[in-house]
Amino acid sequence: MNCHRVEALVSPYADGEVGHFLRLSIERHLRTCAGCAAKHRDLLALRERLRAEATYFKAPPELRTRVLALLADARAPTPLHPGPQPDRWRWLVGGALAGCAATVLAWVVGGAVVDWRANQGLAAEAVAIHTRAVLSEHLIEVASSDQHTVKPWLSARLDYSPPVRDLTSEGFALIGGRLDTLDKRRVATLVYRHRQHTIDVFVWPESTNAPSTLRIVRGFTVARANGSGMDWLAISDVSPDVLTAFVERLARADVSQ
Amino acid sequence: MSEHTRFEALVLPHLDAGYNLARWLARNPQDAEDVVQDACMRALKYIGSLRGGDARAWFLAIVRHAFYDWYKRNRPAEMVPDDGIAGDLTIDPAAIDPEQAALRSAESRSLSKAITQLPIAFREVLILRELEDLSYKEIAHVAGIPIGTVMSRLARARGLLQRSPLLHAFGAESAEVNHELSSS
Repeated sequence: MNCHRVEALVSPYADGEVGHFLRLSIERHLRTCAGCAAKHRDLLALRERLRAEATYFKAPPELRTRVLALLADARAPTPLHPGPQPDRWRWLVGGALAGCAATVLAWVVGGAVVDWRANQGLAAEAVAIHTRAVLSEHLIEVASSDQHTVKPWLSARLDYSPPVRDLTSEGFALIGGRLDTLDKRRVATLVYRHRQHTIDVFVWPESTNAPSTLRIVRGFTVARANGSGMDWLAISDVSPDVLTAFVERLARADVSQ
Repeated sequence: MSEHTRFEALVLPHLDAGYNLARWLARNPQDAEDVVQDACMRALKYIGSLRGGDARAWFLAIVRHAFYDWYKRNRPAEMVPDDGIAGDLTIDPAAIDPEQAALRSAESRSLSKAITQLPIAFREVLILRELEDLSYKEIAHVAGIPIGTVMSRLARARGLLQRSPLLHAFGAESAEVNHELSSS
């Protein structure tokens, strides 16, 4: 393999998008050619910078609200005979229908489980806490990526000691913790960062043997799991499969300390 | 599941991804919001056509279409043939405008500025790869181009970024500024 060919392939190589044999011959070339090795290093450095510095623009809350309103509007049944009505009256009816639809929607989402209602209420409350924390930028009360700092801070303020584990190596960096009130009890909230997303994980001593559940509430994913003597409820805007795997990983016994 | 429920379960979790793409393409928040809202209406309408597969890539493809439609309506003059080559040769006038150059703030020297100045065909593959972490195959699907084109555009995008004066000018420019200050 010559430099010309490696130069053409170094970008897909850095992306892990070349086949096995091609990869081996590029690797061999990079070990012996300082020029191409430098190009490869530059590419990796650029990627590091891109991922660290380029802004990830999150949807503004107003946009989320507008989309939800749109959904509610589309849901509201259109009258069969739209006779002439005073504009204000029509507007009122439209608003009421949209309001009803939005409420119904909030309740309809998700699968059917026995404690559907209780769970749904809990999920909705968790979403409210999460969005409030993110919007008010009051996300973290103890900022640390060190589980040995976060855990004692939480234990000192609660009547239980939540398991705390940094999972940076698996792509979920612990960035801190805070206290919240969820379902009328004081709970520990662990805050993780996964790529550009913030994940809140509420942890409290297991009170039920509720099965693992997944909910989508207002565009947020809410995943719940049991394990290590605790109830775990994670909420974020990451995709449902990622969040489910993460919360189940946290709840598994080998994670607790 | 009704269409609305499917939309809420499958598309809404990717609203951030959709907005991020639209925001990088349109380069301003208001237009990006309009594009995403339009994309959501389309997604709701066609949600029935989403059978399994990756909802995020599906939605991003819709956002991209909505953006190009908006672009054609609002900025027809800036449209270039979408072969990615013409774009390569055009230089963003802002980059050479002396007044702009003089006013460059620390912020505008940043990497983000360099990305916004990439021709659009390169910018979109770069954003999909580096910020959305999509595979070449997924990018090909979203952008409606062959995988080989994804590969060459990404390589070109990175080359352009690495050569961008915005990424390297910081030290040199501040030296110049110091020199100007001391000589005035």
